[in-house]
Amino acid sequence: MALPLPPGLTPPEIAFLCEMELVTVIPRQRLEGLELLGGRVKPLNPPHRTSLPLWLALLLKRQRRANILPPSWLNTHSLTAILDHETDHDETFSPPPRLPPQSSNNTLPISPPFLSNNTSDAAPDALPYHWLELGEMLLEAASDDFEDPDNVRKLLRGLREVRMAKLRSYVEKLDAAGGVKMNGIGGMEVGEGRAFVMGVIDGLRKIAASREQQRKDRDRDGMEEGDYDDDEMEMQ
Amino acid sequence: MDIDDLLAEVVVDATPRETRDLHELTRSWVAERVAPELLPWPADLMDRVLERIRKQIELVEDQTGNMDPKTNFELIIIQTELERFKFLVRSLLRARIKKIDAHPLHVQALHAASLNTPQPLFSPSEHQYLTSHQTLLSTHYSSSFLGQFPVSLQRLDDTTGGISMIDKPDEDKAVFARALRDIGDIFVEGTDRRFEMKRGDVWVVRWSAIRQWVVGAGTGDVELI
Repeated sequence: MALPLPPGLTPPEIAFLCEMELVTVIPRQRLEGLELLGGRVKPLNPPHRTSLPLWLALLLKRQRRANILPPSWLNTHSLTAILDHETDHDETFSPPPRLPPQSSNNTLPISPPFLSNNTSDAAPDALPYHWLELGEMLLEAASDDFEDPDNVRKLLRGLREVRMAKLRSYVEKLDAAGGVKMNGIGGMEVGEGRAFVMGVIDGLRKIAASREQQRKDRDRDGMEEGDYDDDEMEMQ
Repeated sequence: MDIDDLLAEVVVDATPRETRDLHELTRSWVAERVAPELLPWPADLMDRVLERIRKQIELVEDQTGNMDPKTNFELIIIQTELERFKFLVRSLLRARIKKIDAHPLHVQALHAASLNTPQPLFSPSEHQYLTSHQTLLSTHYSSSFLGQFPVSLQRLDDTTGGISMIDKPDEDKAVFARALRDIGDIFVEGTDRRFEMKRGDVWVVRWSAIRQWVVGAGTGDVELI
């Protein structure tokens, strides 16, 4: 029963993660509160908006029990602005949404897919981590809730092209040591780029392995000598 | 600390245990799927999650006979979520078994060393699985061919001669990691690479360089993605 997959998430698994993102829905039917394994779901009272995980929102949408409000960044206006930013800055991805205030040290920090970056009142000027998956899923299941689904689809396609080109251009920065900053990268892009990026870094590392080993040994010797010097100083 | 921080603290503390467990389970699953080596078994978390899954299954069994359309739809939602949880748990376990199968002797030694720490490497059933699997294998090897070798060549875990027979995962493999808190300077051993990792940053970095901060294996200030 061992898992036959290589390390790293597969695209369906990334989509599964994305389905935990919270989205805003407008219920069309009443539904009583439910005690789910992941916490309580508040009762649905039309027409009051509420935030639900995407998987539940899609389930309700397919049964015509609710409408989904697209996230604030998923409209032609915001996407055009983000696309302009992406094409103007060809070195880095557009910045990710602003982080919520830091929680204190003893609590669990929250990160995607559990940040509310995809509700209708989220920041409209940044692509969240699961932007591509979420956009595709919403356009497929709830295109009638969009104002201009065709143009949104076109802009998403454009963003994807620009960003894939950037991901490919990162290859020039890769070297054996790793340590490449990729802020703003999306979940599906990590999944797509992983095999290639890892392959390049690990391959280069193997080529440089003997030089690195020498250096490690030298550093270690250096440290020991350093200790020796300290001892001598103390002796004096 | 300004008002936002205070508010954030209240909000996080108000998150129910169930929701926090879902966050933690999701994070552990991704980490286990991505990390090159086996991570310690999250015992407390899994006990809570498995207990809740068991109760939820009982609830579903109780209500299946109910033909009222409203309860019926609620049941569909409950079952969908139940399946999602079961997938997370199953995939986590299978990813672990894969790593145990790949480097049995190596993880066995690590587990023995971790027994006195608060977080042992295996769950009891994983330990049982590994021990009985290894016993079967070594009995099979020695009866089919190892028994005919000279005694000095019969070991499966020979480390003499400068080369160890025990396979290890590649700890320098690169991983995608995201910082959950500011963690300061990171130094990649054997190279000139030094960089600062701030909260929210995503880096491609060697597993060995960030291992001590990763969720599950270290302080929990970095998550794998």
